[in-house]
Amino acid sequence: MKRKLPLLIVLVTGIFGVLTYIIPHPVVQTTDSVIRNDILRIIGAFSLVLGIGSILRHHFIKIKRKSENWGYSWITVVALFVSAVIGLFGGIDPTRPGILPTHIGGFSFHIQSLFTGLIVPLGSTMFALLAFFMASASYRAFRARNFEATLLLISAFILMLGAMPLTRLLVKELPSFAEWILAVPNTAAKRGIGFGISLGILATSLKIILGIERGWLGGGE
Amino acid sequence: MALTCIVALLFCTLAPPGDVAARDVPNDEGGKIVVTWTRSPDPSVVSYRVLRQAEGAAEWDTLGIAGRLASRYFDEEAPNGTRYRYKVVAEADTLHGESETSGYAQAAPQWFNTGRIPTMIGAAIIFLIFLYTFERARRGAKMFIRRIAGLDAVEEALGRATEMGRPTLYVPGLSSIDDVATIASLNILGEVAKKTAKFGTPLIVPNRDPIVYTVAREVVKESYAAVGRPDAFNPDSVFYVTDQQFAYAAAVDGIMLREKPATNFLIGMFWAESLILAETGAISGAVQIAGTDAVSQLPFFITACDYTLIGEELYAASAYISREPLRLGAIKGQDYNKLVILALMLGGTLLALAANIRITDVL
Amino acid sequence: MAAQSGAKRHTFWEILQRIDRRWIYLVVWLVVMVPLIKPFPVKPVASPPVQQMFNYIDTMPEDKALLISVDYSPDTQAELHPMTIALLRHAFATRRRVGLVATYVYGLGLAEDALREVKREFDSVATSHEDSIISGEDFVFWGWTTPLLTMMLGMGEKITNVFPVDYYGARTESLPMTRHVKNYNDVGILVSIAGSSMPISWVAYAQTQFGLRIGCGTTAVSAADFYTYLNSGQFTGMLAGMRGAAEYEELVREKMAQMDMNWHVRNRGTEAMSSQTAAHIAIILFIIVGNIGYFATRRRKS
Repeated sequence: MKRKLPLLIVLVTGIFGVLTYIIPHPVVQTTDSVIRNDILRIIGAFSLVLGIGSILRHHFIKIKRKSENWGYSWITVVALFVSAVIGLFGGIDPTRPGILPTHIGGFSFHIQSLFTGLIVPLGSTMFALLAFFMASASYRAFRARNFEATLLLISAFILMLGAMPLTRLLVKELPSFAEWILAVPNTAAKRGIGFGISLGILATSLKIILGIERGWLGGGE
Repeated sequence: MALTCIVALLFCTLAPPGDVAARDVPNDEGGKIVVTWTRSPDPSVVSYRVLRQAEGAAEWDTLGIAGRLASRYFDEEAPNGTRYRYKVVAEADTLHGESETSGYAQAAPQWFNTGRIPTMIGAAIIFLIFLYTFERARRGAKMFIRRIAGLDAVEEALGRATEMGRPTLYVPGLSSIDDVATIASLNILGEVAKKTAKFGTPLIVPNRDPIVYTVAREVVKESYAAVGRPDAFNPDSVFYVTDQQFAYAAAVDGIMLREKPATNFLIGMFWAESLILAETGAISGAVQIAGTDAVSQLPFFITACDYTLIGEELYAASAYISREPLRLGAIKGQDYNKLVILALMLGGTLLALAANIRITDVL
Repeated sequence: MAAQSGAKRHTFWEILQRIDRRWIYLVVWLVVMVPLIKPFPVKPVASPPVQQMFNYIDTMPEDKALLISVDYSPDTQAELHPMTIALLRHAFATRRRVGLVATYVYGLGLAEDALREVKREFDSVATSHEDSIISGEDFVFWGWTTPLLTMMLGMGEKITNVFPVDYYGARTESLPMTRHVKNYNDVGILVSIAGSSMPISWVAYAQTQFGLRIGCGTTAVSAADFYTYLNSGQFTGMLAGMRGAAEYEELVREKMAQMDMNWHVRNRGTEAMSSQTAAHIAIILFIIVGNIGYFATRRRKS
């Protein structure tokens, strides 16, 4: 039963998903809307509770066992609580204050200031790492080892040169050639891979709906 | 045209729009009627006002205004079953020209969207080919599947982690559960977890999506139980991190550098964080197996990882690892379907070419 | 580091092959930072996908609104935020109505920030109420809702059903702009600015089902993915990465100059172009040096 019930739910909802595509009648569309809007929203909300429970448990275990770098776990837990309290009770920004006093003099710690002061710079820093990693990866791995790799190298060169406004002054046709590489050979290859991916998605969906693929249930019979 | 304008000026009216017709919008959930007309020949028309009258009612209500280039209007507030008729008035400042009244129409919902028949036929052909290969697989037909180096390396990579006494890291991508790549990744996670359970290697699965986290946890737990090692399952090994893309990447990078996993699996949907994860993994010295259907991230994985599952290989992986006949049948089904698509493309291209080549050019 | 320790036993090229990656990081840091502090002039020239989007927005019927979907988070802000600002500037300069939504919670703060900046630019030179940019009249910031699919499909039917109140808490039914922008029929183009595959979701749902015209702003990394959609006509134009943002900024700057709107604004995409050009040159040099080293050491070994 533990296995049959989820498989039955998947079969029924899978077939229903197909029906919503071909039946525009409100009976089907409204049911679909209830499943998508209401039921999914409720599941999402509960899973978020489970997620927060998970992150807390994970870090409390670390703190309790005094695992390596356990001090950082305190930072995570405290940050989680502080931002939740400020988000719920501290107001959006100084023009829309909440019930908690969330500024000391000119220093504001509303949710908007947490956002601009912490999340924005931290997120941008992580993204900026990409430039460094790209440079080191291209230095280490971008070698003309064989014909294909040489071809790749030449196209990469043309694309990078084409992306620079300066090269437009030197070789007028280069940017449009770079654009052509992206729009024609690149697109053709991507479409080819795209067909394979779409069929893979279809096959996986079908396997799940028909109960052939049970990996998501932990496999087995 | 000049005559029309003179007549219009004389009578302070505009030439009215013609052929006003109303009909139920086809293939919809009801509640909509489309009103169509031919535009007034008068060039000074600014807009068209659409009027509606319910059957039995005395008054005409204004429904809305359409631009001068419009020749149809959707009445989206027509309750099913109520009969309405329509008029369209061409307007320009104080001038106007009123059309004839349309026939009655009523909105109704449909049970079948006829516009989607071609898609359904296509889907049915694909579906039948899959069913055929499933059936062949069930009867025990031998199916050749080409070797996929990345998947052949799974066992070896996990063995390496066991020998070194280090954990294995499994990142199930950053997308949500409605992404099929995530589901494919969870299927592979099931197979990987069975092997780590057998080998007794610690497994770390950090998650970005709370729903994916709950499913991943169940998958790992069930996999441990399936190979008779439920006791070895550590509930803390699968955990939720954050839904913020780069905060998640930072957390996973931290795990790679602190816990020093011997093997990293980066399988599922990835975006710009792919190289940040893969390059950090390379720095930490782990054997890395990546797989994604995000085509633009593939070059990064190919550069920084030891093995990469490209596109559809991701979907073939769980079948390849488990060697279960029915699942292998699906891979064969994919191949046959690809042949059909190739034939259609070739046929389409030849027909398009033929249409553009004159026989005299050939001769 | 490794470079010094290997110096006694290895040739120059071998040392280069084994160079510690932190040296590369240092060079990248310098070539990015120095031009940011001391930029050299670079004039962006619009590529066809950027020009296509600009032309469409510039010439679309006046009663049609521009919808901007802020589908990125702060991580990709440097590349994508200048696009949102340039699009807002273009729309407000040509008096187009603008609607904004965010598909991620993090997009809320970014959309609000872009709106505040561009509104301030226009309001600071406004001489009358008509010249000012007013929330609810010239733009509506609907905010964020979930689930995504409900939002994308629901807005095609009736936007006020999906967003009963806007981001600022005003009832959308009562906003003057709602009279003109009820659903996708009143929208000229939706531009999805994203570091993810969100523009494709907009195509899959809003375009396929409602015929909504979609434009796309994306990071340079993801741009190659989207050319398929550009070629097929599913995207009406595309801004790719910092360069795309800079090119759009330049087109808007020229347009505003034609309209005698010559006040000073910050074009962050254009400002970063010299830095990006220097970084590109550095990476090209890295690849050249890496390859020379590879061939030199290979010949020595053989």
